[in-house]
Amino acid sequence: MRSGNNGEALIGATVTVPALNLGTITNEEGFYSLTLPAGEHTVQATYLGFTSLTRQVRVTGNAQQQRLNFSLDTANTELKEVQVEANSLRQKLNDTRMSVEMLTTREAKLLPALFGEVDLIKTLQLKPGVQSGGEGSSGLYVRGGGPDQNLVMVDDAVVYNPSHLFGFFSVFNPDAVKSVELYKGGFPAQYGGRLSSVMEVKLNDGNNEGIRATGGLGIIASRLTVDGPIVKDKLNFTVSGRRTYADIFTRQVNRLSEGQEDYSPIPDYYFYDLNAKLSYNIGRNDNLTLSGYYGRDFFGFDDDDFKFGFDWGNTMGTLRWRHKFNNNLYATTSLHSTSYEYNIRNEIDVFQLSLTSAIRDYSFKTDFDLFLKGGHGIKFGAMATHHHFTVGRLSFQATDSTLNLGAGTSFNAAEFGAYASDDYAVNAQLSLNYGLRLSGFRSNKTYIALEPRFAAKYNLNESTSLKASFASMMQYVHLVSNSGASLPTDVWYPSTAGVKPQRSQQAAAGVSKLFGRGRYLLTNEVYYKWMRNQLDFRDGANLFVNDSLQNEFLFGLGRSYGNEIYLEKIKGRTTGWIGYTLSWTYRKFDGNNPLDDINGGRWFPTRYDRRHDLSLVVVHQLNKRLSLTGAFVFSSGSPFSIPVARFAFQDVEGKGTSIVPIYEDRNSYRLSPYHRLDLSAVLKLKPKHGESDLTFSVYNVYNRRNPYFVYFDQVKDQERNDILGFQAKQVSLFPIIPSVTYNFKF
Amino acid sequence: MKPKHLLYLLLPLATLLLHSCDLDKDIDVVLPAHESQLIVEGYLESGKPYRVAVHESAGYFDPPTAPLVPDAKVLITHNGRRIELEYKPKLDSKSGFIYTHSSSEIMAGEPGDVYTIEVTDDSGRKITGSTTILPVVPIDTVEWRFNEKEEREALLLTSFQDDVNTSNYYRYITNLDSLNNGSEQDIYTSDELTNGERVSFGSAYSFDPGDTVIIRLYNIEKQYYEFLASTSNAKDANGNPFAQPSRIMSSVQGGMGIFTNLAVHQRTVIIE
Repeated sequence: MRSGNNGEALIGATVTVPALNLGTITNEEGFYSLTLPAGEHTVQATYLGFTSLTRQVRVTGNAQQQRLNFSLDTANTELKEVQVEANSLRQKLNDTRMSVEMLTTREAKLLPALFGEVDLIKTLQLKPGVQSGGEGSSGLYVRGGGPDQNLVMVDDAVVYNPSHLFGFFSVFNPDAVKSVELYKGGFPAQYGGRLSSVMEVKLNDGNNEGIRATGGLGIIASRLTVDGPIVKDKLNFTVSGRRTYADIFTRQVNRLSEGQEDYSPIPDYYFYDLNAKLSYNIGRNDNLTLSGYYGRDFFGFDDDDFKFGFDWGNTMGTLRWRHKFNNNLYATTSLHSTSYEYNIRNEIDVFQLSLTSAIRDYSFKTDFDLFLKGGHGIKFGAMATHHHFTVGRLSFQATDSTLNLGAGTSFNAAEFGAYASDDYAVNAQLSLNYGLRLSGFRSNKTYIALEPRFAAKYNLNESTSLKASFASMMQYVHLVSNSGASLPTDVWYPSTAGVKPQRSQQAAAGVSKLFGRGRYLLTNEVYYKWMRNQLDFRDGANLFVNDSLQNEFLFGLGRSYGNEIYLEKIKGRTTGWIGYTLSWTYRKFDGNNPLDDINGGRWFPTRYDRRHDLSLVVVHQLNKRLSLTGAFVFSSGSPFSIPVARFAFQDVEGKGTSIVPIYEDRNSYRLSPYHRLDLSAVLKLKPKHGESDLTFSVYNVYNRRNPYFVYFDQVKDQERNDILGFQAKQVSLFPIIPSVTYNFKF
Repeated sequence: MKPKHLLYLLLPLATLLLHSCDLDKDIDVVLPAHESQLIVEGYLESGKPYRVAVHESAGYFDPPTAPLVPDAKVLITHNGRRIELEYKPKLDSKSGFIYTHSSSEIMAGEPGDVYTIEVTDDSGRKITGSTTILPVVPIDTVEWRFNEKEEREALLLTSFQDDVNTSNYYRYITNLDSLNNGSEQDIYTSDELTNGERVSFGSAYSFDPGDTVIIRLYNIEKQYYEFLASTSNAKDANGNPFAQPSRIMSSVQGGMGIFTNLAVHQRTVIIE
């Protein structure tokens, strides 16, 4: 099934034979397979945002295969962009999968965005069971898991650090992305390697019709995408770029302030991403795509005698071949390379310091889809990855060779996985998805594990379905980060003889109910997740330059449980959703001696434990040209560590007395609750060529001072510099921030 | 150079935002009741009298008065000899150190000697700790280099030889003009990456011609290094959202604080 507008494959579209109460969903290549009895049938194809299509098919008695292609058109009025066929709710109701959130760029673009930068990850944070790491963060904390426990894939290639600038922005340029799918649980067997979630980002294939440019001008960044056919129906391309431009203004400020006494210049900061993709249809049955991503953040400073530079980013490349053996068997085989690295360089006079950490992977992957009679959708496949880790490579030297200092370690490791699963439609009511994944990892020790996966759906009646799932997951690579923020200096570390792989098991059960003549879908899910070998760090751990980093690790248990309620409406002039999550997330580190404990070996809440989390999103199409969106979020205060006491430290002569805070248990204090309202308006313009719109966005409309962190300050007598007392202070990050973005397409 | 500090150069961006919008506000925080602990701070230095400061910890929002412990008894033991320190709070006007317990006896330990301390009070609290006297590690050269700017500025480079046979910890402090104005640089490090090598500590271009710089190199105990690192981390965590809170790693048991010895080599240079 393809889009009539640009020929792109439609993933997850529904194909049904209403008379027989039979149906299926298209796979990642837009293929589907249905087994029908002999006779004349009406087959209906529906997809979110597209006009439904109905076609007749005649099946003769002798078992033969037929190809029935659908080419769906985008719902043709502008209004329809936000409208979605009610059937997609039914599709959700009938899907065996549970705990899945899907989002398209089109939807995300209607929502308000910080600085007007549309961010798919931040939109996903508005879904139940998904938390943000904190104000402005694009980290995902799924059902009590950490941001390093998300398997983030762009066209099947793993992304190690999906964020720019301390996690304020994600690396996904919205114009390059077609859709995002996030699994919070019930993971199908083809996914493995991370504990808490799977996020699949699909890039646009490039349209088939003609050369098209899409882009936007925002207050902090601009973006441009060009796509189209090179050879019609054969070869398509897409190229996207995005760059921030705050550095242009800061350089100007620096120039104007040059020569001023005591002026310290503002360092340069910018980030950019480049995406490119080539899609080649070799014949009816073969498609080859080549895609790449390159993104960097740069922070730097260049004075006459002091140079400082800091850059970090991801590089990815994928070559993928999709082959159709026949109507029942498809294969996708791909080669990937992905890397993440950061570099710090510091030069002063003859001295040079550089520090690098990196992870570099080469992977091979092959996946088969086999449709068998009797309602079986079999998937099987295998993958192998070679990892190379560079951990804190430091070099400090003088060009006159008076000094030479180095540190750092590197590891090689291999990871593999093989799986098989069956999506089995037992009858119109019951469907099962069961599978098994075998995974392994080899460094200086070999680990092998079996990961069973299971999901079931039962339709109680036309409008109600029950679902349940269980998934066991392994994670062999670990992120070394103790900041709670997504800092570029975070380091990936392999499982070794001393560092066991992380493991999780998650059970979930849910009920979905369609009501209001199919316009509303209410879903309630409960989940419980156990985690072993969770990683944390000793008090005062040195994670920066440390050749025996492993000695700083502590291993513990984790558990998370909760209830997620989700009500959505996707049809009509007013659409949106309400999500509410009640959840608990704890960790426990109980070592052999007190130095290996955290909080005395008791269970304690993690930074992202939120008791209540509510999000409300309403999109209203006022008229053909104007749509308004409001998003409100509320979440309980996050746990935070604050000192309970203090003492005065006089230190040696020539230092002066300082106040030393005494910290006891971690995360024992709760910040005040977080809440915020964002509004946006999208106004369609009427240019001579193509389409364009202006998106107005206001972040934090009522200017709530949400807590970012709390610290205790000294109140001093200005003249005598004596300490008069102590005061707790709360720091907020973003006040009300209006922004405007101009988007175009021609 | 602690490379971690480079990271904080990234903070100006965030700070800029914070200050321009006045996003700081006073809040009330209710802390759990704190049971105060004895705090000891004592540095033995060869050729100087025994002096120790004993305080107690206070709840963070308690009034900022000096929490003295008049009933505390301090006993230092060396080779079976007990030296009782008398409670007599006093400010050493030269160093600015306020000590609470002292003895007129001069400490004359040799490298390798072990001294133990015991602090008790009437409510039954007790601190114990010990220190092993370390040898002085001499600074072998101090040099400076000027940059090319119109108003020349100099960087300072101090070098010494690390002992290959022992694991060493160092503290390096520079002060401008006198010891009364706070330090220019304060670095503490282990010899993990530099064992047996000639080690150099350098500064930025922060000195003008004519500056007098007082340079001190301390050969310190591991327990002192850990105490310094943990206090610094704890201070850092109070106000830096990216830092992880850290417990204080004291060199003493039963309370908190530091009891150690100072083996220091001091040089004074005039930049010219």
